[in-house]
Amino acid sequence: MGMRRVAVIGAGMTRFVRRAKETPKELSFEATRMALDSCEMTRDDIDCVVHGTAPDAFDGVHMKAEYLCDGSGGVGKPYTRNYVGGGTGVFAPIQGWYHIASGMFDTCLVVCEEKMSSCQPHPQGAFLTIFDHTTERALGPNLLWIFALEMNRYMQTHGITLEEIAAVSVQNKGNALDHPCAQLGKKTTVKEVLESEVLAWPVHREMVSPTSDGAVALVLASEEVARRATPKPVWIDGVGWTLDTAYWCTRDLYYPRYVETAARMAYDMAGITEPDRQIDIAEPYDPFAYKMLHHMEGLMLCGKGQAPKLVADGVTARHGRLPCCPSGGLLGVGNPIAAAGLMKIAELFWQLRGEAGKRQVPGTPRKGVAQAWGDLMQVGTVVVMGA
Amino acid sequence: MGLIQKSSSNQELRHYRGNIPVGNLYTAGIAGDRFFVDLRDKGRLLGTRCPSCERTFVPARHFCEECFTRLEEYVPVPSSGTVHSLTAAHVDLDGKPLDPPHVLAFITFEGCAGGLVHRLGGAPGQSFRIGDRVEMVLKDRKKRTGGINDIEHFRPAKGSRR
Ligand SMILES: [Zn+2]
Repeated sequence: MGMRRVAVIGAGMTRFVRRAKETPKELSFEATRMALDSCEMTRDDIDCVVHGTAPDAFDGVHMKAEYLCDGSGGVGKPYTRNYVGGGTGVFAPIQGWYHIASGMFDTCLVVCEEKMSSCQPHPQGAFLTIFDHTTERALGPNLLWIFALEMNRYMQTHGITLEEIAAVSVQNKGNALDHPCAQLGKKTTVKEVLESEVLAWPVHREMVSPTSDGAVALVLASEEVARRATPKPVWIDGVGWTLDTAYWCTRDLYYPRYVETAARMAYDMAGITEPDRQIDIAEPYDPFAYKMLHHMEGLMLCGKGQAPKLVADGVTARHGRLPCCPSGGLLGVGNPIAAAGLMKIAELFWQLRGEAGKRQVPGTPRKGVAQAWGDLMQVGTVVVMGA
Repeated sequence: MGLIQKSSSNQELRHYRGNIPVGNLYTAGIAGDRFFVDLRDKGRLLGTRCPSCERTFVPARHFCEECFTRLEEYVPVPSSGTVHSLTAAHVDLDGKPLDPPHVLAFITFEGCAGGLVHRLGGAPGQSFRIGDRVEMVLKDRKKRTGGINDIEHFRPAKGSRR
């Protein structure tokens, strides 16, 4: 395609917490400073800045990317914000990627921040208006309800049990115990998950990620700069993104076809023809427990309806054949929307460099895939990375 | 009602009401918290000094956006400054007259980067110009809450030329 190779050469993140004292700008600064320090760069070494952040209503600052620009190192630089709902955190590095792949820039800071605790009484309030204002809103739906519809349809189609879905919460919250930035790491059981409050059947409280404050930053570089900067660049091998119809009632909810479309785009670019064999490590988006399974299938890491078996068999465990969410995912590390997606890319970066500490998957993983999702269950964003 | 039909009032169309039901709770942040606690308790303005570009920012901030350095040296700065620019609002958002006009200024402090936007006040009929020296007037200690309105306004500095 005549595009240049792009590598991730540095990463940083704040702790994910329920309510941070730091302002959104300060959160962005801490993550960005850490990412620059990790590759011994200064702001002078940065050609452009990409900021990913979800609705302005969360931080309570209209045009918040402009407000955040100081904290993400963007002053006086070519600076853009991107926002594709929940998919933002994995789209931000894609935007950084094309800035560099195009040949226009050699280095790019990619920063994602969210401070959801500013939003009262609950960030769900901001989501109430994503539904159609005449056909749906009068019925009072919220995001939990529509995910409950999707989860139920997925379970019904394949005969999946609540226990199989609860096992995802157990795995990811357990993995998060080893993440120094995690909000909700804990040792739990399927029984405990199923004994938690039912929010909207079949969604139980312990199957849902929390609201969080936090920021994550990456440094992206062209091949030439990357090879000078580090002996261990992690390459962005493939990128894909897609948006499905907002007439969500015209889709069968059992399968995330928008994830498959985005994944095919990314795999084609990365030369991946058999994802279930060629991908060593995955970070599918898991704001809800069933979503990790749903997205594993959309990413074609297994057949439709097969993901629960992989979890049950330990295949997706950190020491399994195909570790999924070794970070602890959104269920365990937390879910500051855009930052949570970028956390998944940072996790692949650390894992593929062998720098994930207690979270390190065994062997020498070579290929990873991360994915995020959002809006009215309609956006898919996918990045394939290689050591 | 189509595009080619003119309507001067959208209330004539069938309509459905709605809003985005959120409010907000903000924090002042790492540096902002120290700035406001110091203002409330000690009645002074706090800045932070950047060791790299040697600027002192007021109000205190957590990082220098140019050098990208974490700022950890907090220093009190003089509470009198200079009117950098000002405006007098004669009507409010709804178009109602403001009498007397609401005078708002951007005030800078000697040797400091940044500054404060605040009200100007003083004797009735007091007029202000760009370049005037002004000083901070605080609310009584008991009425201060740790916010920007702990400062009542800025008034002409004692011994200034006007
Ligand atoms: Zn500086």
